[in-house]
Amino acid sequence: MNLEQGVDLGRGLVIPNPIGVASGTFGYGFEAERMGTLARVGAIYTKGTTLLPRAGNHPPRIAETTAGMLNSIGLQNPGVEVVAKEYAKRWASWPVPVIVNVAGSAIGDYVAVCERLTGVDGVAGLELNISCPNISHGLDFGTDPALAGRLVEAVRNVTDLPLLVKLTPNVTDITAVGRAVEAAGADGVTAVNTYVGMKIAVPRRAPVLPGLGTAGLSGPAIKPLAMAAVARLRQALSIPIIGIGGIGSAQDALEFFVAGADAVQVGTANFYRPGVAAEVVEGCLRFAEENALARWRDLRWTPRS
Amino acid sequence: MNTLRPPSPVDLVGESDLSRAVDEMATCLGVDSFGEDIFEIRFHAPRISSLAEPGEFAQLLVDDGPIPLLRRPFSFSRSDPSSGMVSFYMAAIGQGSRRLRRFRPGDRLRMLGPLGRGFCLPEVRGTSILVAGGLGAAPFPLLMDRLLGRGERVVFLNGARRAGELYPENRLPPGLEALVVRTEDGSRGQAGRVTDDILDLVQGAHRVYACGPNPMLSAIADIWSEIRIGEGQCPRLEVSIEAPMGCGFGTCLGCAIPLRLPSEDPLAGPLGLCCRQGPVLEAQELDWPRLLLQPSHLG
Repeated sequence: MNLEQGVDLGRGLVIPNPIGVASGTFGYGFEAERMGTLARVGAIYTKGTTLLPRAGNHPPRIAETTAGMLNSIGLQNPGVEVVAKEYAKRWASWPVPVIVNVAGSAIGDYVAVCERLTGVDGVAGLELNISCPNISHGLDFGTDPALAGRLVEAVRNVTDLPLLVKLTPNVTDITAVGRAVEAAGADGVTAVNTYVGMKIAVPRRAPVLPGLGTAGLSGPAIKPLAMAAVARLRQALSIPIIGIGGIGSAQDALEFFVAGADAVQVGTANFYRPGVAAEVVEGCLRFAEENALARWRDLRWTPRS
Repeated sequence: MNTLRPPSPVDLVGESDLSRAVDEMATCLGVDSFGEDIFEIRFHAPRISSLAEPGEFAQLLVDDGPIPLLRRPFSFSRSDPSSGMVSFYMAAIGQGSRRLRRFRPGDRLRMLGPLGRGFCLPEVRGTSILVAGGLGAAPFPLLMDRLLGRGERVVFLNGARRAGELYPENRLPPGLEALVVRTEDGSRGQAGRVTDDILDLVQGAHRVYACGPNPMLSAIADIWSEIRIGEGQCPRLEVSIEAPMGCGFGTCLGCAIPLRLPSEDPLAGPLGLCCRQGPVLEAQELDWPRLLLQPSHLG
């Protein structure tokens, strides 16, 4: 096989294969370490990490929908100090690169978290979550291109780590936000985060999940939507795109490569198929061999104008 | 900043050992129906059977397709390592359980387990009372096996809303010290709830294990906490609770349960995970009023 398996996400970060595991579906990797399901994962994108610890939302937090699930976890995480001091040490000896997903509600929060993680052994990169639908804040970075750009610029000033930005699909034009973060210095984008959804319990005449009842929809149900977002972004951006949305098989991953993704993340499938990333990797490698593929990006589709 | 770190549930009550879990292809041996929608489904899953302990659970991938999407968690009802059998006792009430009810011998599914923290088995011989509310009897046959095997005296309090929801007596292992039957409508055994005279029933017991709807468990926990405030004389109470669960191994953070420690502000207690800190906890470790606000399963 003369396939180049690794993928360059910028600034020297070459992940060993393009199949990663998505933020919020893999914790900080320690459960998988215990269960023996870390093998072959191309990159771990951690649970969203904030400046201060967060206990998360009051339950119930999840609901199942047709071919999907809704979650409203509320960024439960131990805070950046614990991640930088205790977790990163353990990652430093793992063969898989760990990219810390960073969340916040003000530019200063993001800057502080990213600054703290810069230069920490074991942290291979950063993924800015500018689109968590489940915490209330005054500013929505993910839906305002100018604001998203300012945020990325501010973070870019304090870190030389590879910087990815995870985009929300809950916008009219995802390419506008994509262009803004590319111009501001992002090394890549992850597309997409969850879609805003709701499930209703008729007997209670109310949504299943508390608060306003809205939550983030993920799983196979969103795959065609995410695919379209990736394809549109591919036409608009030149930085790497990490595709995510309903990926649970090699076939799904290959479809995203054709649509324009440089790498992908397996998300919700990690919940019901622990170890699925390794199967996706094996399946993609088999396909590459059978089709004498040299690079993953050779699969890419070019639309006729 | 460190002072702001919430107390970790792990430090408070411990967590399950994920290194024991295996994802095994299990083969259905049969489905035994007990009227209404209740049934027991048996699988050949030799690796999991050799590991399963009372109160622990497995996650069943009932369909490879995307509907239903998530696995369904069920406590082990019986486990026979010598034949490699494990079984689950449930009612066909949701998408997952309805699908399982249609399983035929030879049908296969992926089974992940054992997961969660189970019941604590006694170090010293004594008397255990097992209190079941309807389907809450599910984990007790395996618990009875293990208790009886240690020479424990076992009393089973089999309660349900009506006769058709009682755990079938002919499935109980031989050697129980006593069997008490209660139905709310009086269609079998004494009319009433298992909670009505539970204090009389547990006289002299060394430990009580309870499983049933969360409101029933909460009622028992209330009775216990009143005694605790008064005499301080009551047997250890362990409960197996339910919460809507996603993964079963601590990564989705979906099955949050409100914990309470005796010294803590009940409004600011930490959240644990049913799948890692539970599903079996000591009753006083839980914040019952907050727990009752949430549904018990995905539906």
